[in-house]
Amino acid sequence: MKWYKTISYGVLAAVMAFTITACGGGNNVPAGNGGNTPANESGNAPAGGGKKVTIEYWHTYSDQEEKVLAEEIKPLFEEQNPGIELKLTRMPYEGLKEQIIAGVAGDAAPDLMRMDIIWVPEFAKMGALQDISKNEGFDDIKASVFEAPMETNAYNGGYYGVPVNTNTKIAIYNKSVLDEIGVTKAPETMDEFVEAAKLAVAKGKPGGIGIGGANVWAASPYFWSLGGSLTNEDYTKVEGYLNSPESVKALETIVQWNKDGLVTPTILGGEPGAWDGMKNNDYMMIDDGPWFYSILMNEAESAFKPLEQTVRGLIPAGAGGSRSVVGGEDLVIFTNSKHPQEAWTFAKWMLGDEPQKIMSKLGLIPTNKTAANDPAFLEQPFVTEYVKQLETALPRTPIPQYGEMEGIVNLAFEKAIRGELAPKEALDEAAKNIEAILTK
Amino acid sequence: MKTKWHIQLLVYGIIVLGALAFLFPFAYMIMTSFIKGAYSLPRPKEVFSVIPNLYNYQLVWSKNNFARYFLNSSLVTIVSMTGSLFLGCLTAYGFARFTFPGKELLFRMFLLTMMIPGVINIIPQFLIIKSFGLVNTYWGLWLIYIGGGVVGSTFFLRGFFQSIPKEYEESVLIDGGGSWRIFWNIYLPQSMPAIATLAVLSFQGTWEEYFTALVIIKDEALRTLPVALLMFNDKYATNYSWVFAASIIALIPTVLLYIIFQKRFVQSGFNEGGVKG
Amino acid sequence: MSIPVAGQPKSAQRIPAGVKLKKGMQQWIMVLPYIFLGVLGTAVFVIYPMIKNIIISFQEYSIMPNAESPFIGFANYVSAFTDPNNKVLMAIRNTFLNVAVTVPINWFLAIVFAVLINIHFVKHKIVFRTIYYLPIITSWIVVAFLFRFLFAGGEYGLINFIFYKQLGLFQEPVNFLSNYWSAMIVIWLFHIWKTVGWGVVIYLAALQGISKEYYEAAQIDGANGPKRFWSITVPMLGPVTAFVIINLVNGAFNFFPQVYFITRGGPMDQTQTLPSLMYLQAFKNFNFGYASAVAVMMGIAVFLLTYSQMKKFGNQRFL
Repeated sequence: MKWYKTISYGVLAAVMAFTITACGGGNNVPAGNGGNTPANESGNAPAGGGKKVTIEYWHTYSDQEEKVLAEEIKPLFEEQNPGIELKLTRMPYEGLKEQIIAGVAGDAAPDLMRMDIIWVPEFAKMGALQDISKNEGFDDIKASVFEAPMETNAYNGGYYGVPVNTNTKIAIYNKSVLDEIGVTKAPETMDEFVEAAKLAVAKGKPGGIGIGGANVWAASPYFWSLGGSLTNEDYTKVEGYLNSPESVKALETIVQWNKDGLVTPTILGGEPGAWDGMKNNDYMMIDDGPWFYSILMNEAESAFKPLEQTVRGLIPAGAGGSRSVVGGEDLVIFTNSKHPQEAWTFAKWMLGDEPQKIMSKLGLIPTNKTAANDPAFLEQPFVTEYVKQLETALPRTPIPQYGEMEGIVNLAFEKAIRGELAPKEALDEAAKNIEAILTK
Repeated sequence: MKTKWHIQLLVYGIIVLGALAFLFPFAYMIMTSFIKGAYSLPRPKEVFSVIPNLYNYQLVWSKNNFARYFLNSSLVTIVSMTGSLFLGCLTAYGFARFTFPGKELLFRMFLLTMMIPGVINIIPQFLIIKSFGLVNTYWGLWLIYIGGGVVGSTFFLRGFFQSIPKEYEESVLIDGGGSWRIFWNIYLPQSMPAIATLAVLSFQGTWEEYFTALVIIKDEALRTLPVALLMFNDKYATNYSWVFAASIIALIPTVLLYIIFQKRFVQSGFNEGGVKG
Repeated sequence: MSIPVAGQPKSAQRIPAGVKLKKGMQQWIMVLPYIFLGVLGTAVFVIYPMIKNIIISFQEYSIMPNAESPFIGFANYVSAFTDPNNKVLMAIRNTFLNVAVTVPINWFLAIVFAVLINIHFVKHKIVFRTIYYLPIITSWIVVAFLFRFLFAGGEYGLINFIFYKQLGLFQEPVNFLSNYWSAMIVIWLFHIWKTVGWGVVIYLAALQGISKEYYEAAQIDGANGPKRFWSITVPMLGPVTAFVIINLVNGAFNFFPQVYFITRGGPMDQTQTLPSLMYLQAFKNFNFGYASAVAVMMGIAVFLLTYSQMKKFGNQRFL
């Protein structure tokens, strides 16, 4: 038994040592804060009459973006606003919604967050976000940014955030596949596009039309460009729009492409993934956002050179025009922020010319019109097409029920593509189910 | 007693095949972790011909605060393992050696809770921790891990405790010792194999715990390892060689602990007749 | 209420109520120092959350502090069964399928491997046991990454590479996670691979616990190997088998990481199980009331299914 004793004493000693360091170090719980949780004053909140206010900012920036944020944005902001310290917290994208919910429910949410545009109405309805439309300087901000991204913050007559960056997806063609089939420039219309895809597939390529999945984010550029729609213009009605004859025809076309083998296997979650297919010269075309370039250009170990080996084009225009989908993030301030004033100061600052220009160097498209039209930004090799595509891109339905609505539309798309339901039936069913949740 | 060679061959064949089925995926994972730049799915041929190197390990160790989270997880896990072992032993002893009214009812209630999935309990648990003011502290995590895990360890240890012969207690009683001495001098040393087994299970259960840690811990500096692992699974792309390099680093402590304890693992406490229906 | 407790004198019933109460109090005072913290912890962190869930299941629950959560009767329960896509029914079906498929395979593999490893001529038993147990101590997240990687679609996923490219057994590369049955198979394989070692270890321990004397006696009687196996080993393993199977069923009933990390319920929510469905409903769509209602129904079902087994189970060792 001696053996066990030694081990258990060892463990005990280690535990004690660890506990002592822990109490002195990491988890400092402000003593005597009554029923209130320590929330976000990360331990260095002023104990008595301090001047600095710390605001916490949650984000999901990528590696390269985070570096710029910490090394350029933060020092610059703190220099210009000496009373405020910016605390950056990078959140894992997995389980992000759970963390926001827990933060909100537990009074432990940060002051600000950079949040996916489609979540804003949902959290606004929950009461988690502040209406900032009455804040000082809001109108100036509103006037300085693009309208479409701004509208993603609208809910119930107010605004619950400001757009910090925007993006969309464009068509990215593989140059060597285009060479192989003798196409010299990116197709501009759906007809040209489908012809090219047919040629590529005839050459034995596993796919020509790179639809990344049977869901709204992946398929809507095609669905919309082919003439389909999700709702009416003010996002209040689905019946008669999602299942309009044009929508049914659009979905039927996609289903037919898939039957003809023109679509990449990614539409049903198959491999190779979009990026693999592009790198290995398998796919003729995929669609993706600017991160395709910013991440892959920074991948030091790879032989793939995204700029030289791809050709960029707009989503080919069909009956509905050239329509892509708007993505991006909004800056929101949480209801239980302890320092809403300072948070708003940062939000305003972040939408100013200079920070927007700094972030745009990474391919994050500015929402600030001045920054977006800055020649230095437009000179970047891959942004022109994205900025151009944004002019005609459409938002996903900005309503609080979007999360559930998206689930229903995704299911309808997938059922139709798998051939389980005719496109018309699938869309009819979806429209009916969505109408039911819209009244909630 | 000699067994024919072809029977031996067959038996060995089956168990070696089984062992390979368990080992091979690990081997493939380790080989993948040597590949550089695996934002795309590496081809099996590349994987099989890879030259072992520590490039990704070094990269991962210094990325996403991984080293920091490794230490955090060690702290969280060691404290909660010790706490739940101790509490489990105490409670199991109470249930194994005492009679008191309502014992069976209480124990059945304990058992029932083990059958119902706990995923949905996260919200109420979180609200309790919040009302204690312990959100974003390790105390919050420890309370949930220890308080929520006591049923399992009690259940696990009670059987062992019950199989310890009563006669052992007599020497303590003669010396004038009470139930505490019996617990400390007889039950704990006699059940060391079971406790060692439980230690491995408890260590692993806490080391890999993800959902509660995600919800309770808000501060980046306090995060634990599983959260860091998932940070490598980016919104737009998964780099498998980083994920696996990080995974392997994360696996090392559990595997080491298991190998240290494995001679004692499970078997020794299992005397004949120990398992009764 | 009479509580059958081993070791209590039978004559207890004749003792007057007052004395009985006093004795009970004394017994409680004796045991309280040992069980107090454990019972408290369980009450606060396990039982209270369950009760809270029952309450939430009758509410339109809002997670916001200070927000109102009106009671809405059985509406959450009703909506669980009137859902046009039958998500709950699908999840129930999958849950039963998971039990029906994985339990027999898991059990069979466990007993076969344990018996073979335990044969007298096999050397390095501990090495085999260690290897077989490795998946158990590996974290679910890591194994999930690994399985998603091995079963990646296209010809560069390892499984496709072996069966399609090398052996030619598949007609074309299979997109495992995008079809219902192939996704279910991956989930099952994942579960079996991850957990079969547990059964092996339990059976090995039980086999080693069978006294050598039985075998020696049988050998004197002239029984050969297989006969000794059937007449001694199999009957002796009976009780362990009951324990193993109950645990396997319980494990298969509670598929959560298997689904959450592998398919997220896809394709088309078809591979959801009850735990994964409630988790995603709660945290993705904020339908906390609905999720709680599913949890409560599952709790009742589990209670009814296992109540009769509970006493037996409770006295068993849990390894």
